[in-house]
Amino acid sequence: MTVVSPGETANKGRSDLIAYATLSLISIFCAVPFFWVLLASFDGNAQLFLHWPQQWTFANYVRVFTKEDGAKWLFNSLFVVGGATLLVMVLAGLGGYALSRTRAWWKLPFLYAILLIRVLPPTALVVPLYKFLLTLNNAEAAVLRPIFGSYARDIMRWTGFIDGYLGLILVLATMQLPLALWIMKTFFDGLPRDYEEAALMDGATLIQRIRRVLIPLALPGLAAAGLFAFMSAWGDFLLPLIFLSSPELQTLPLGLFRAFLRINEIDYGLLTALAFIYLLPAVVAFGFARRFLVQTFSGGVKG
Amino acid sequence: MINLRNVRKFYGALEVIKGVDITVEDGEFAVFVGPSGCGKSTLLRMIAGLEGIDEGDLILNGKRINDVPPDKRGIAMVFQSYALYPHMSVAENIGFSLSLKKVPEAEIRRQVEAVAEILQLTDYLDRRPAALSGGQRQRVAIGRAIIKKPALILFDEPLSNLDSALRVQMRAELQRLHRELKATVVYVTHDQVEAMTMADRIVVLNKGFVAQEGAPMSLYHQPDNEFVATFIGSPKMNVIPVTATRASAGTLRLASPIGLSLDLADASGAVPQGEAKLGIRPEHLKIAPEGQGNFTAEVVIVERLGVETYMTVGSQEQPIVVRAEGDIAVRPGDRVSLTADPVACHLFDSAGRVIRPVAA
Repeated sequence: MTVVSPGETANKGRSDLIAYATLSLISIFCAVPFFWVLLASFDGNAQLFLHWPQQWTFANYVRVFTKEDGAKWLFNSLFVVGGATLLVMVLAGLGGYALSRTRAWWKLPFLYAILLIRVLPPTALVVPLYKFLLTLNNAEAAVLRPIFGSYARDIMRWTGFIDGYLGLILVLATMQLPLALWIMKTFFDGLPRDYEEAALMDGATLIQRIRRVLIPLALPGLAAAGLFAFMSAWGDFLLPLIFLSSPELQTLPLGLFRAFLRINEIDYGLLTALAFIYLLPAVVAFGFARRFLVQTFSGGVKG
Repeated sequence: MINLRNVRKFYGALEVIKGVDITVEDGEFAVFVGPSGCGKSTLLRMIAGLEGIDEGDLILNGKRINDVPPDKRGIAMVFQSYALYPHMSVAENIGFSLSLKKVPEAEIRRQVEAVAEILQLTDYLDRRPAALSGGQRQRVAIGRAIIKKPALILFDEPLSNLDSALRVQMRAELQRLHRELKATVVYVTHDQVEAMTMADRIVVLNKGFVAQEGAPMSLYHQPDNEFVATFIGSPKMNVIPVTATRASAGTLRLASPIGLSLDLADASGAVPQGEAKLGIRPEHLKIAPEGQGNFTAEVVIVERLGVETYMTVGSQEQPIVVRAEGDIAVRPGDRVSLTADPVACHLFDSAGRVIRPVAA
């Protein structure tokens, strides 16, 4: 035990006070924007500056879904980002397993090469990517139009590479796949082969080994990879802006952005309600995956 | 009965198993023992079917099973890590192989309970492996193996993850299980104490070869080579370089730079003169009255265990361990006279092969 003089105790008390005061200030600084969004979204007369609402109301939220296309934006966002996340989880699960178990000479070069995709700023690749997808899109349209005639446009909304769900899902998934592959590769590295070999000796077929052993064991890693993919793709603004043009395909961040750009009126109530709706899925996703995240980043599965 | 006939394994150009012949009889507890890298785990995995066999035959009960898939061999394996599925309960873990075969739920439950009974796991069937102690996990892993009623159970260093007290307890438990189940067991370990205490037959492996196989005590008393002599037994056998000369017909004189001089009976005259190595276990060296021993040396380290005392004597380059009964009054720095029991001496040639017979 250390001996502490009264003077030192007083000193310690003072330095603690300073530390806590500083931390509180930083916390307030970080929390105020969220607090403002929350307050203003329920305020009948929201202003740019933080103030306590005089009348509490859901009107802002109602407006998002009635006057604006909020429901459609939310669906588009969830569908596109959810689709991309699902694709990332499947590909990263299979690819991460293969990358972990292979002894091929190209393993490390490949792993670093895919990280490069992540490091390159997407903006720099937008032009060639757009050109590439446009070519694919035109080719697809050329095939679909003679077959489906006037319905081709409706089909292309789902399967088109430009201004269609599929194109954006693929692009978003591509951006998120490298990190997810790394997460899954590292996760499978920590998963002993013994599990599979034990299952093999018990007579499990390949499908049974994947379904009954590997997927349950990989779940924490998949959740972490999926969460990162979801959060990152959910926050992406540039790619939807470039690859979507039809109003009915707009995503939440685009809706938010366009509402902010309207010339005559800046409706802070509507903006903050939209912002809050935009925040919520990320928070919910985090809540779900938190359990798995902790497990993944604190030493994997313990049996 | 399992037979390995001239079995070989290559990793690329590197030969890791160099023509191994082993036979394990039904109901036998065979232990493959050797230092790390000797190929014992590879050999076990080859028997299991997790590694291919490049040359030779693997025969189980008269049938060649080189190319039979692992689950069709009738062999079960207990892994070093246990490999219990963390997302399944103990009952699900034990019954996994049956559930893969689509055995009805009720039948699985019945068999799992029977196995749990033998292994004293009945109270833990609904727990997850994470909620079990090391010893319990070990038993679940064994349960997963024996529920398949295998012709052969393989153990891959199963006790290495346990602390030493639990290891002693599990050793006894494994022996009890082996007696009750009358199972044929092949057990791999690097720990010669485990091998000595549990095995009916020990196979000592070194660098991909079988160095020697046999009953524990025959390996202990009649090692074929220096490797087995020093590997089996703890503390290990002292090996002292000596020069052999024929003192008279029927007597061989050994001399060493440390001042050792020892006469061995050699009626046959089979031992060549010249450089050799003398092997003598610590318990076969005795403190003699001063001036009457085969050599004298300075005591460097004294380890008192109460029932016995271990002394390390001699120089750093040539330490010699001596075991004495009880708690004897020797201190580091003392000089002691030592005699070697001539009947318990082993002689090895420069390649490490034993030279017999020393006695008539």
